[in-house]
Amino acid sequence: MTPVTADEETVLADLTGMLARLLADEYGVDDVEIGMGTTFNRDLELESIDLVTLAGLLQERYGERVNFAEFLAGMEFDEIIELTVGRLVEYVVTSLKATEAS
Amino acid sequence: MAMVDTGAVRLHVQRTGPREGRPATATVVLVHGLLTDSLASYYFTVAPAFAAAGLDVVMYDLRGHGRSERPAGGYTLDHNIDDLEALLDRLAVTGPVHLVGNSYGGTIAFGYAARHPERAASVTLIESEPATPDWAVKLDRILHWVVEQLAHHEPEAIAWVTAHRGLHTARLARGAARLVRETTLAQEIPASGVLTRERIASVSCPVLALYGGDSDLAEQAPLLRAVLPDCRTVIVPGHEHSVLVEASGTVGGHILSLVEEASREASRVAAP
Repeated sequence: MTPVTADEETVLADLTGMLARLLADEYGVDDVEIGMGTTFNRDLELESIDLVTLAGLLQERYGERVNFAEFLAGMEFDEIIELTVGRLVEYVVTSLKATEAS
Repeated sequence: MAMVDTGAVRLHVQRTGPREGRPATATVVLVHGLLTDSLASYYFTVAPAFAAAGLDVVMYDLRGHGRSERPAGGYTLDHNIDDLEALLDRLAVTGPVHLVGNSYGGTIAFGYAARHPERAASVTLIESEPATPDWAVKLDRILHWVVEQLAHHEPEAIAWVTAHRGLHTARLARGAARLVRETTLAQEIPASGVLTRERIASVSCPVLALYGGDSDLAEQAPLLRAVLPDCRTVIVPGHEHSVLVEASGTVGGHILSLVEEASREASRVAAP
């Protein structure tokens, strides 16, 4: 595993890899373009149980520093429906930087 | 992702708890609802707050739902209670637990408490009720409708849901259609064994029954208070059946109060 770097580009690449793996494992889909503006619900058609799987992948990669469940628990239902990959990238970068600083 | 083999079925389990290895004060088991539901309804709502409050939190997907295995049969209420029982045994959760159930999950949680009063520290019913003859009739009507509308006329039904409720709900409806087509769930649940009034009244642990103010299930509140020895009810105004995910802060707060109160009471009784 490569060391964790807290910059947007690296985190986006990490997340793209995780989502590609999830889509391939669960839905046999392997041709999805993922960018900062991609939405989990409308574009990737992920269900909430898929986000639980993603939470596990995030924890494998970043450990306790990134808590996806807490991040989503603080949101309204409509916000979760509109959630983009970019918003999650920002959250991961902020979380990693916060632990680097402490 | 943790899969637990109960001996009868492989269930997807998620467990969370206090950080930095602090010991948990109690175990809470969260049971989700029928057809479109999964443990995600807890994972992203009340579970983080429960863990932060020092609780050991067990969530699982019912058979046929979420990431759990989907056998073709075995979907009566008693099968679901057997699964919960076997799961807690496999997880070596032996002491009394605080059970929380949303919708049909509450019917399972209550059934577990009726079967094992000594293992239930409290029960929370969210938009839910115990299994009674009336409950079985209602579930039969709902599941008949699902089979008719969704499973037999799926393209038309999905088009309607997409137009009126959006893409997200349409995807959930498609999942529900698949579940009733691939399994005998819709036939088995209404045929489940139900509880007599005496059996319901025998659940003596504290029970919290919580309903959305705009839900037709809210009329259960006075009935439960009349039958159960220790029951409090909460109505959350402005919500319907999805009150758990729509008002999770309020719902979670009421559950935590109940759990803390029941734990205090249990330690007071246990002390010489």
